[in-house]
Amino acid sequence: MIIQEGMTIQRKLEILSDAAKYDVACTSSGVDRKGTGTGMGNSLACGICHSFSEDGRCISLLKILFTNECIFDCKYCINRSSNDVVRASFTPTEVCELTMEFYRRNYIEGLFLSSGIMVSPNYTMELIFDALRMLRDEYQFSGYIHCKTIPGTDPALVEAIGWYADRMSVNLELPTASSLKQLAPHKNRKNILKPMRQIQLRRESNREYLGIYGGMKYPNEINNDTVYNKAFSNFNNRLNRLPKLCDTKKDNDINNLITSTSDITPYVKPPVTRSRYVPAGQSTQLIIGATDESDYHIMSVSEALYDGFDLKRVFYSAFMNVNNDSSLPSTQNGPPLLREHRLYQADWLLRFYGFRINELLSERTPNFNVLLDPKCDWALRNLDKFPVEVNKADYYTLLRVPGIGVNSARRIITARKSATLDFKDLKTLGIVLKRAVYFITCKGSMMYPIKLNEDFITRELLSVKDKLPFGIERDITYKQLSLFDDVSFHPDEEVKGMLLGGVQ
Amino acid sequence: MNNLKIFQCENSIDGIFSAIYQAWSSGYGHANIRIEEQSENDNYTNITLFSDYIIVKTDFEQAMKVSQSIKSKISLEAYEMVCRVALSNYQSKGDLIYRFLILGFHVGSKVVGYLSNEVVNRVFKLNRYVNGEAHHIMGFLRFSEQENGILTSVIHPKNNILTLITPHFADRLPMERFVIIDGNRNICSLHLPGRPWVLAEVPNIKSTYHETIMDDNNDEYEELWRVFFDNIAIKERINPGLQRNNLPIRFRRDMTEFIPRENIQIL
Repeated sequence: MIIQEGMTIQRKLEILSDAAKYDVACTSSGVDRKGTGTGMGNSLACGICHSFSEDGRCISLLKILFTNECIFDCKYCINRSSNDVVRASFTPTEVCELTMEFYRRNYIEGLFLSSGIMVSPNYTMELIFDALRMLRDEYQFSGYIHCKTIPGTDPALVEAIGWYADRMSVNLELPTASSLKQLAPHKNRKNILKPMRQIQLRRESNREYLGIYGGMKYPNEINNDTVYNKAFSNFNNRLNRLPKLCDTKKDNDINNLITSTSDITPYVKPPVTRSRYVPAGQSTQLIIGATDESDYHIMSVSEALYDGFDLKRVFYSAFMNVNNDSSLPSTQNGPPLLREHRLYQADWLLRFYGFRINELLSERTPNFNVLLDPKCDWALRNLDKFPVEVNKADYYTLLRVPGIGVNSARRIITARKSATLDFKDLKTLGIVLKRAVYFITCKGSMMYPIKLNEDFITRELLSVKDKLPFGIERDITYKQLSLFDDVSFHPDEEVKGMLLGGVQ
Repeated sequence: MNNLKIFQCENSIDGIFSAIYQAWSSGYGHANIRIEEQSENDNYTNITLFSDYIIVKTDFEQAMKVSQSIKSKISLEAYEMVCRVALSNYQSKGDLIYRFLILGFHVGSKVVGYLSNEVVNRVFKLNRYVNGEAHHIMGFLRFSEQENGILTSVIHPKNNILTLITPHFADRLPMERFVIIDGNRNICSLHLPGRPWVLAEVPNIKSTYHETIMDDNNDEYEELWRVFFDNIAIKERINPGLQRNNLPIRFRRDMTEFIPRENIQIL
């Protein structure tokens, strides 16, 4: 291991931002907080992107590792202990200075602090805790802080950090326990899920507590309040009352954790304050394409995490073989970006569109269609539910129409209160009809005479170019698809052969 | 004579509201009235034949009356929308606001939901456009620290959004002295700790002002920011198209990380 003494801050930043770039989550959303009037910083629920790096990803937070020294040896990670890379560590003061000065110049929305594992998880997390506490208390920073939790950290530390961070996340990394064991031998799934559950429960009790008092009472007035103590004692009972998590039977870890009266009892009684515990909630990250789990499996895990752990986001990161490890798939032709894109699309369908994963995928078709986005694909398999009358359908029915998103559906609902909508009006509203046109009626009639025939609509939809993010197009052999124009093919069967199923 | 009456007014919220007040009380009839605001470089648009031009002097009392009645007879939401439209760079925004208010005073607060109506729809879209740009600038604006500790920033927005973004920065940086200069309109907003922020005109600002302030100081954090910016991109995923889509080129002239440095020293 190369450790250089007396490194400049610039060199450290170079190493530790470079090492942090593979973490996907860089959102600053979820908290609305006014400035204090004395310190520095506020926070907007919608989040703000401050720049976009060359890869087109948003830069919202100062995303750095506290250290890239690491005692773990995860095969996919550039900082694994067996790699011979330059190692560096910040001090808590350096992290604070950088954050404050960047924030002042409006470069960033806050801090995203992740880390390799120096000495032990607790040792590292204590340093991170020092940095956060210093930033909040001494530097009076009230901007956004996202903090990674290292699996295996003492629950008392997790508890303490949560009062200083806006969002916390533990990376699940791989969808199954077995692949985690295979690629990250030092991590175990339980250690990842435990802090997640702990934070979730603390957030719930915190919200319940603030809800009771409206978050507005002064702390000393309610110090010995029985209602408050009751809310806290409920805390443990609720472990049993939580819903069963996951319907993928294989997922024993998640199920065990939910069903057993586990030992995740927080050490400390929560401080009686008005402050909020991890107000922006938790997120996690999954690596896509390093192991052979199907999309169905990945999305089932996501669904379980949203339902059971109250996660705000699950991020998907297309696997890149940064270590050229021969036991992992090669990514010479670029990371599986299309697959990542489809997973994000489906993720949105779960979170905002009221879909369940069983509607989108099944054991029989475990991967997403390469050619069509998940919603189009679903609609084609469920043509009996269409067409939908724009002037009558409820919000969630509208949301299921391909081409109609959250904004469009809301606009339709608002606009039709004052007028009966026609296709012309839909255009005025800015609703994109190129896909929707096959699935909707206005005042009882479709825009053109259209057969509700699966083959026909599939063909038409394929001619509408799927709006993929820039740069993904080149992964797909689009041109060859014209061959299929004359073939009657069913997305379920024929297309299955075309599924990239891992896009490697 | 049924000549079109064109009310010419200042390009400001007060100017447009004064014109609306005078047009409304003139009794010419809505169909015979048009409101035309000065364009941003102080020229009126094309003169129309066979119409009477009425020059409107901005009158704050009249403007207040209009804003009061929008708030009380329509809604606060509608008032905010109208204000944002008035700050936009849309050509005939004065007349658009006039048409919007005619409908608004007729149907009340639910006017904002009349999205299939052309006037309301236009207002809705402009509102979104102005809001969108303000949101972008909140992120893309860059302060650079002067030797005297003042944070300075120059922006070149399409719409006049300075008044929309300054409260955000005043809330965020209450202990800082900062200036945000709108390079397109020669106005700036100033903030001092413990005082309300103010809007001021800055005549004769050089177009290269920003480059000068950027060059003059040797702020180490600007250098650190560039280092961070270059390192955070994943090389295997380089995607200038996506970057351009998310961060249009026009913003980059005012952003530290995109301003080329001649003497960058790489370790």
